[in-house]
Amino acid sequence: MTETILRQTTARPKDVPWLSLKYREMLEAWLFISPTLIGFLIFFLGPLMAIVYYSMTEWNLLTQQATFVGLDNFQDALFVNPDFWHVVRNSVIFALGLVPLNMALALTLALALSRPFFGVVFFRTVFFAPVITSAIAWAIVWKFLLQGEAGAVNQMLAWVGIDGPNWLREPNWAMAAVIVTRVIKMVGLNMILYIAALQAILRDYEDAARLEGASRWQIFRMIIWPLLAPTTLVIMVITTIGSFKVFDHIYQMTGGGPENGTLVLAYYIYQQGFEFFDVGYASALAMIMFVIVMVLTVVQVTVRRRGME
Amino acid sequence: MTGLVLKDLKKRFGGTQVIRGVDLAIEDGEFVVFVGPSGCGKSTLLRMISGLEDITSGELYIGDRLVNDVQAAKRGVAMVFQSYALYPHLNVRDNMGFGLKVRKVPAAERERRVNEAAATLKLDALLHRYPRELSGGQRQRVAIGRAIVGNPDVFLFDEPLSNLDAELRVHMRSEIASLHKRLSTTMVYVTHDQIEAMTLADKIVVLRDGLIEQVGSPRELYERPGNLFVAQFIGSPKMNILPAASARLLAPFATPPASAESVGVRPEHLAVVEPSDNVLRGKIALSEYTGAVTLMHVELPNGQTCLVVHDGKDLPAFGSEIGLMADRQNLHFFDRNQMAAQQ
Repeated sequence: MTETILRQTTARPKDVPWLSLKYREMLEAWLFISPTLIGFLIFFLGPLMAIVYYSMTEWNLLTQQATFVGLDNFQDALFVNPDFWHVVRNSVIFALGLVPLNMALALTLALALSRPFFGVVFFRTVFFAPVITSAIAWAIVWKFLLQGEAGAVNQMLAWVGIDGPNWLREPNWAMAAVIVTRVIKMVGLNMILYIAALQAILRDYEDAARLEGASRWQIFRMIIWPLLAPTTLVIMVITTIGSFKVFDHIYQMTGGGPENGTLVLAYYIYQQGFEFFDVGYASALAMIMFVIVMVLTVVQVTVRRRGME
Repeated sequence: MTGLVLKDLKKRFGGTQVIRGVDLAIEDGEFVVFVGPSGCGKSTLLRMISGLEDITSGELYIGDRLVNDVQAAKRGVAMVFQSYALYPHLNVRDNMGFGLKVRKVPAAERERRVNEAAATLKLDALLHRYPRELSGGQRQRVAIGRAIVGNPDVFLFDEPLSNLDAELRVHMRSEIASLHKRLSTTMVYVTHDQIEAMTLADKIVVLRDGLIEQVGSPRELYERPGNLFVAQFIGSPKMNILPAASARLLAPFATPPASAESVGVRPEHLAVVEPSDNVLRGKIALSEYTGAVTLMHVELPNGQTCLVVHDGKDLPAFGSEIGLMADRQNLHFFDRNQMAAQQ
């Protein structure tokens, strides 16, 4: 009986598909990821390769003539042109101002808004709304608010007897003003990430620590903060990358001024490429920026990972 | 002496009354188990004792101290959580020593107490490991160790074994029992598993809808349930409840009290006999072989199903008619209010 069954089942049926199950599943998987893959190849990898090539040419957009110059553009940026290091310095100052301020504010808001209370959704919405607002519209509004005498910010300061500066026109204040407006715009995103992380932390940890006599500060410092480390790392990386890529606020609010005081890398690349039409040099700058952001990300990830170990 | 006294304890969450007036005295060194179905308020009651939940009204004494307004950390209690609540970024040593560290106990003393607790629970070899590197049973032992280190007056356990598999649960149950014998500290233990309650407790508190249904030793609750709920909740498989008239068929000399509406008989107290007009008759609808015994589902003439524990010898065939009888003293009568009927 058993032999008969075995003989019957080992005979290959006639209607077997031409592909085995394994290959059919593989084909289906490729079909599903193909839209994203094609988009990635056309809109990301393609331009990236093009920029690598452009960065080694002297190509003027107006004359449409490209000449291969090897690494001259890189040499020019790194060792000849003093503007480049000034711009890098500005970008670093921008990042050093924005990242800690953004993260501290995001964490404070998340700690306040992670637990349910009446009106919590309203407050979360208020702080998140700027994230989905058009960056250019946001920058225009703040440009008006931060005007010298007529600006709403200075008028409010005047009520309490403070004579506010012309925020976007004074070299000492312009960078700080742009950083703060950018922080207010983007803090909601990091707040949401921190809220999600805080809500994922088991309530029992806090209860156990409370029972063991830990104060609120000790619970935060010894339990919550270490458990937030992976989220903090992600936030730090994306905020740093975002701060190096900042363009719209600078473009609309200061145009890189005053006295090139807010001229940051992304805006400088735009200037070189689309105001001075030097596409080759702009591409080389974009490559350098890509490397800087990569290195910073690797450093941050490595440092945090060592810290966690 | 660290017993507990709960006087008319109540807890309200918004408009919902979760604990509706609990009076209970727990002796020093006693092992008390709160048992009841999900949502009965047993964990809430435990958290009220710990100080993690406020008390809406009533009085709670730990020892002779009224602790309603005393912070959780100052009540002298330690709690073992269902989730273990081991801090994932700290190793076993740091987890166990956390409470001592925040209380600023000197490092040498901390070390000594952690080592002592680790030796008691055979955790010495695991002190450098992180919670993610431990099995469920080891995590539970660390959680208990963390509680021991603080040298509390009262241990609170909130369903500590429910995340473990059946075999480990039995093992950990015996470890907790022997720990109680060794420490002789008051322990309050919450579970929905009545086997756990029966095996561990000196005293069981059966809760339902925020009220105590009955308090007593496991034997008292099993042998003299105060009402229908307790009768069916304690004991596995649960007690069969039949119309009071069935009592005379089950035990010829049984005399049901006048107020009796129903009679309860445990599946393990029913004996299979030849079917006749003088015994309770039924047909075998299903037999479940469990190894040690067989659980028979017997369909009675009134459509009810009656469970019978059978030793498996000469097991009646599926669909065959059998008779059922029980000893008179194993019958439990309940009145129309589902309370134990008085003779």
